[in-house]
Amino acid sequence: MNQESLEPEKWVENYADMLYRYCLIRVKDPDIAEELVQSTFFAALKSQHTFAGKSTEKTWLFGILKHKTMDYFRGARKNINLDISDSDTDSINFDSTGHMVPTPSNWNLNPENAAENNELAQVLKDCLNGLSEKFHRLFVLKEIEGLSSEEICKEFNVKPTNLWVMLHRARNQLKLCIESNWFSKE
Amino acid sequence: MKFLMSLFKMTCEDVYPLISEEMDRPLSFGARMRLKMHLAICHLCEAYRKQLETLRRLAQSLGEEDSKVNEEAVLNPDIKEKIQKAIKEKV
Repeated sequence: MNQESLEPEKWVENYADMLYRYCLIRVKDPDIAEELVQSTFFAALKSQHTFAGKSTEKTWLFGILKHKTMDYFRGARKNINLDISDSDTDSINFDSTGHMVPTPSNWNLNPENAAENNELAQVLKDCLNGLSEKFHRLFVLKEIEGLSSEEICKEFNVKPTNLWVMLHRARNQLKLCIESNWFSKE
Repeated sequence: MKFLMSLFKMTCEDVYPLISEEMDRPLSFGARMRLKMHLAICHLCEAYRKQLETLRRLAQSLGEEDSKVNEEAVLNPDIKEKIQKAIKEKV
């Protein structure tokens, strides 16, 4: 097999939009996503000599972007407090007989097939943007970046019990949003 | 006996936070049992659990490098041009 090599002249054409979309799922603000992609390319240009040809060019560029995004999250820690506050509430309630309100509808969907449903993933993307900055960040770190609860608590100064309560609320909000934007259409 | 009784006395309100909690950290033995018993008899909580599992899988696919979501989103052409120029100068 040929060793992978870099073709910087084709980077923008081949990867710019892909990297940008990847980033837009993780950060809410398009300006920040733009900045992160730009600085990814500049960093890649500077460190071309570190490319060992063991991975593909695409994987290498995504690797740089992932680092940049995590660095951004760590830096933003000072500006956004990720711990729980009084304004965080649960969007699911219970009536006097102890039943969930609103009642969970049957999504008629096998969770294992959900990943193949692009339209539904698009609805989730839009619902994610409706979350507060804090819930968005925590959900992304946990469910999209795949960090463990311990890592999130340690890196972002969140108490374990609070993290779990906030993730629970973020999930409830997303679930209700998906329900009203997708399942009520039929 | 007291423990056994407590397995049956759980309401949805008691149980449903455990469904999400279990996605984030291992539950204690007692909590795991209570959840299991309740899910076996309550189809609404079971539906809710499935929804959260669907949400998790959807989020994972959304985060993949080749996700087809948001395909209309493109990087600002001015920025592309700026990067391309920088690349030309360097190569």
